[in-house]
Amino acid sequence: MMALFNVVYKQFVWPNDLDEHASLLTMLHENQHRSDVLYFAESSNFTTHIDDSLKLRISDFIDLYCEEDSIDVRPVEHAGYHVGQYVPVIAQIDPESPVQTVVVTMNLRTFGQDVIYGPNEASLQKATRLAQPGLPLVNRVLTTLNFYDNRSAHERDLLKWKSWIKDSLISDTDSVTFPYPTIRTWCEVPKFPDSSGIENMPYRILADQNIKVYGFHLDESNPMVKSFDQIITIGKEKNLNLIFNILAENVDQADSLLGNNLVWLMRRNRDFLVDRYHNKGAIVVDNLEAVANQHFTDRRVFPTEHYDQTGRSIIAMNVAQAIKELHSKK
Amino acid sequence: MLFNSVAFLIFLPVVVILYYLIPGRYRWALLLAASYFFYGSWKIEFLSLIVFSTLVDFQVGKWLYKQTNTLYRRILLGASLASNIGLLFIFKYLKLFLPAKDAMIVNIYTVDHPIIGLVAQAVYFSIPVGISFYTFQTLSYTLDIFNKRIEPETHLGKFALFVTFFPQLVAGPIERFSRLMPQLKANHLPVYENFSNAFRLILYGFFVKLCIADNLSPMVDAVYANPSGFGTGSLWFGTFAFGLQIYADFAGYTLIAQGAALCLGIKLMDNFKTPYLSTSIGEFWSRWHISLSTWFRDYVYIPLGGNRVRVGRWVINILLVFVISGFWHGANYTFLIWGGIHGGLYLVERMFKGLVTLPSTRLTRLAGWAFIFAAVHLAWVFFRIEHIDMVGDHFAALFTTTGVQSITLKPELIVMLLVFIVSDVVLYNGRIDHWLGNRPKLLRWSMYGVMLWCITAWAGMANHPFIYFQF
Repeated sequence: MMALFNVVYKQFVWPNDLDEHASLLTMLHENQHRSDVLYFAESSNFTTHIDDSLKLRISDFIDLYCEEDSIDVRPVEHAGYHVGQYVPVIAQIDPESPVQTVVVTMNLRTFGQDVIYGPNEASLQKATRLAQPGLPLVNRVLTTLNFYDNRSAHERDLLKWKSWIKDSLISDTDSVTFPYPTIRTWCEVPKFPDSSGIENMPYRILADQNIKVYGFHLDESNPMVKSFDQIITIGKEKNLNLIFNILAENVDQADSLLGNNLVWLMRRNRDFLVDRYHNKGAIVVDNLEAVANQHFTDRRVFPTEHYDQTGRSIIAMNVAQAIKELHSKK
Repeated sequence: MLFNSVAFLIFLPVVVILYYLIPGRYRWALLLAASYFFYGSWKIEFLSLIVFSTLVDFQVGKWLYKQTNTLYRRILLGASLASNIGLLFIFKYLKLFLPAKDAMIVNIYTVDHPIIGLVAQAVYFSIPVGISFYTFQTLSYTLDIFNKRIEPETHLGKFALFVTFFPQLVAGPIERFSRLMPQLKANHLPVYENFSNAFRLILYGFFVKLCIADNLSPMVDAVYANPSGFGTGSLWFGTFAFGLQIYADFAGYTLIAQGAALCLGIKLMDNFKTPYLSTSIGEFWSRWHISLSTWFRDYVYIPLGGNRVRVGRWVINILLVFVISGFWHGANYTFLIWGGIHGGLYLVERMFKGLVTLPSTRLTRLAGWAFIFAAVHLAWVFFRIEHIDMVGDHFAALFTTTGVQSITLKPELIVMLLVFIVSDVVLYNGRIDHWLGNRPKLLRWSMYGVMLWCITAWAGMANHPFIYFQF
């Protein structure tokens, strides 16, 4: 009876469930049979600036730059997602499809506690559960029965603060003396005081936000690193080329707000990712410092990977270059 | 551990198999260990509160029974009341009297001071699940000994099982010692009829919780978050849908609890009997959360004098019972008002009946039903609303909204709602396990298939815990 239910469910109910809760898989189904390259991304791909004359996505720019080589690039995207949601979807790329290469955005901010313990993580985990490979009805039942990490936003917030208060910003292998042992101690330092000692609060808030989102040291225990490792394994199994696109962060602003310390952390973490995944056979496109401050659309509000047209085209150009080199070798 | 979890679907069969495999004299230990595991898998630290409540009431019960001096007996009863109500006060109501704290501040404090921080977390954000239920159950035990209705339990382990029996630990039904303890001690044999009835109860319970409550919850949440954003029809629907949601949520939990207990040969009391068909508030409370309303009747209303007092005192008794039962639900003034509304309606109803005798025709019964249905559902607004300041806005929006958002019911939800409503009417004064058990095989198995389909393919995915867990 359950086998029959699964057939009926897959035919008539599953598409609606995916649209509602796990649209990334729908997008894969729509795009994989007409693409050479799939571009997995979050909102960095499609967020534009009001003054942009070209509202093209990063993946559209890449497609444009690759047009002369007849390489078709299409997005598989969803706002607020991170690599954890891409893993089960990449695992379901049809081996019969023309897809040769998968590009995955490597968003440095998502490796930090601010995202790992973010308030939306339970709903992201739900989407990941529903999109797992296997019988759709089984995934549906497991999702209904909360068979995923569904800790509350409050519980996650507590873990985040625990990390910010207890975790060291540098690892045992770092042979440097870092002035701030933890996020908390760094955030407690007064910033931007005027002559009477009163702090410039807008700058201070932005500086503390930068510390919180980029202040961490990466190692292989990081859950996002584990997800990228899984993608490496899947890529090998499916014989896919993998390109990891380290997205541009506003390093200029981090430097101007906090000096070299935060930039040092960002670069160290970037180097960890480049080394790790280069050694594992992926191509890592390093865009971390490729975009200047003025091209970040949310720079006055919060550190994000949202760029104006110039920023998006710079990133796309670098990724397109890597795709072209890869495909020209084939 | 939630009933609607993979862990529980593994846990229950394992416990049931072990239960019937081991000798009867050790079963209490198995069930106690299972119950502590069931509760501890949520937050092990709060097991200490259950153990504390168990030890206090076990010892007080023994002393009370032996003690003949009235003063000492009252002191002992006071100790039991103080410890149980004290626990409730600290973990449920203390925050009403403390300055509001931002979650971030409490979280930072918790990291710096883990032990005190844990208590602060519980006081402010996550009350120990089921505390209102097990404290009331142990209170009834002490009060029954004080009133010489029962003899105390002499075996600490078996008493601990009475307090923590996992199917009804976190959201009832609140059982009495005289009803539950003999069943816990009995040497049950595996009986086919029990298993088939348990299967029906659990299946229907899951259908009601997962397909009705969990599908309605996103709509209700949206409407209560922004009532003025919705058009009139959707706003009224969302407001009334909460009545259906909470009923399906709580009744679903109770059915699963009854089914789980029945697998072990233990029959838990019914908690709901088609309450929304009631034609009076009195009848509603004899059909809604029966284990709590009878608890208040036996341990608060009757000791206050019940209706054998002067009219003025009786009015106060009624209002007191309803307001306390409202407040039992949580540390929010909205619950007080909700209880007060029901108390007020009950008084008006009783006075009206004393003054006017209406003929019992189909029309008067229909009018009575419509009035009670509307009144109960509008009173739910106070129960559901997050803060008392929002009540005015919600009611104002019901009559003046210019919002454009609308609720769209999926066809499958309409089908499931119809199935639920029709089955609830059919089961008036009945129960799904008995009713289905007496149907022809083809109909019975068709209904199993329909429910199984609904649970697997159409259940809600809202990640909504049982509403009564927060009480």
